[in-house]
Amino acid sequence: MIPDTQGQTAKPTAKPTAKYRSQLRIYVDMMYVIQRESNQAKPTRILYGANLSHDRLVKYLEELEALGVIQETGIDDKVYSLTQKGIEFLNNFRSVESFASAFGFKV
Amino acid sequence: MECIAFVIAIAVAYQALKAYKLSKEKTLLYLNLSFVLIGAGLLIDGLSSLIVLLVRLHRGFLYLFGVGYTIYFLAQVVAYGLLVYAYARQARNLTATTEALAAVPILFFERNAVTELILIFLLVYIAAQTGINYSINKNTNSMLVFGAFTSLTIAHVFFLLYTVKPLFYPFAHIAQLFGFLLLLAMLLRVNQPA
Repeated sequence: MIPDTQGQTAKPTAKPTAKYRSQLRIYVDMMYVIQRESNQAKPTRILYGANLSHDRLVKYLEELEALGVIQETGIDDKVYSLTQKGIEFLNNFRSVESFASAFGFKV
Repeated sequence: MECIAFVIAIAVAYQALKAYKLSKEKTLLYLNLSFVLIGAGLLIDGLSSLIVLLVRLHRGFLYLFGVGYTIYFLAQVVAYGLLVYAYARQARNLTATTEALAAVPILFFERNAVTELILIFLLVYIAAQTGINYSINKNTNSMLVFGAFTSLTIAHVFFLLYTVKPLFYPFAHIAQLFGFLLLLAMLLRVNQPA
């Protein structure tokens, strides 16, 4: 039971409306952030830009590195950039996204 | 005209398959199957008409018109039904879809008002959905898809009118071709490098 502003108790009737992002969507959001940051993004930037928790950020960065779409390029600080494979993937995804969106479907 | 429409339908189906492979989003698989069926239907309808014309309307071959149109009609109903399902699935409104996908008795029929009305009914729903999508997105690609389905709906209205007056037959084909050309324009825009 959730107390409302008048101190009364409201029954949770509706299901939560928030939609879960797929793993692919999270990967793409992270890669978009890196691209937006002139292909040189610090982990904090990616964390805020892709709206992730620290644990998930670390996990997904490792996965993206293993997939070969991003690479760690910083010497002193950790900085991530997209690889050629990552740039090509993002271009493909962009065309797929605009195709699906033209029909009103989400990817 | 059917051959051009067939090629464009297959190109849309290919793009939808590519999108499905990347995203694993089922609605895109339905879009792919839908356009494969639309393309196959158009090809069979076109080929059967061509064969009949080549044998100069020999009476023995006239049944091919019926067979070709039956396959074309069934393919279109299933294809547009799949699209309706995809849109309804996205809107989580499955009950309306089941009603829309009513079973169709398999008979060899020629183009008639009932079959055209079924297709118009499905196309109006799809055109409305793409129209809503355009009103939300306000981008050119959504407008092209909306224009395409509106044009296909108009084409079937002309096919319906053709059952009364043969004069409407070429207009129907022109509207159908125009619809597919709009889809081609959308495909070219989507695939142009950023």
